[in-house]
Amino acid sequence: MMTCKEVSTLVSMGDVERAPMMRRMGVWLHVAMCRHCRAFRRQLVRIGRVASLISEVFEREPTANFEDQILDHLRS
Amino acid sequence: MGFSAGDAEDLAQDVFVTFLETLERFEGRSEVGTWLFGILHYKAQARRRAQTREDLTDAVDDVFDGRFNADGSWREPPIPADRLVASDQTAEALRDCLARLPDQHREVFQLRQLEELSAADVSRMLGCTINHVGVMFHRARVRLRACLEAKGWGRSR
Repeated sequence: MMTCKEVSTLVSMGDVERAPMMRRMGVWLHVAMCRHCRAFRRQLVRIGRVASLISEVFEREPTANFEDQILDHLRS
Repeated sequence: MGFSAGDAEDLAQDVFVTFLETLERFEGRSEVGTWLFGILHYKAQARRRAQTREDLTDAVDDVFDGRFNADGSWREPPIPADRLVASDQTAEALRDCLARLPDQHREVFQLRQLEELSAADVSRMLGCTINHVGVMFHRARVRLRACLEAKGWGRSR
């Protein structure tokens, strides 16, 4: 039987799908029986959903003067 | 290339400085662009190796370990999602917590959680092992949970 720490670590690493069949079944059985690990998994899902809503925070565009900076380097 | 905006700018600067420093060795046998991309590849690999070395140990691992007893059971069980504090301010809190993540952890969180890329794809992009991607994803999530809880998110109503 896997411990809560093992299950939570595997879930948090996003490694469940990559784990061998028996290990995946172990996680599935543990989560089905353990309300704390279910709560942990749901917290991660909720964080992911909120992060998706604010994902514009990750948008990365070059700074306004990025091209100028490159040209300055080439000229200097 | 999997770098944060700040790192990308540093990298671009580094590439051009090296390009200028080594210009006299450029013999014109290839395009200038090829020469530049060669420098970029070398610099990006060096930067990733340095970042990977830095990630071997992380204080946040103790935060996660502290949640469990020696037998692997929960010492501080998570609050069930339906009893969490109302999420009016969760988005704002999470935005702040995301900004506090180390650059590479934020990058992995973005690629795995939001872009829904596989660990294998992310490992190819970042030039590290699949396991290391998992470790960084885990650490990012532990940091986010700890940060949110410090803002009152994990407390029951």
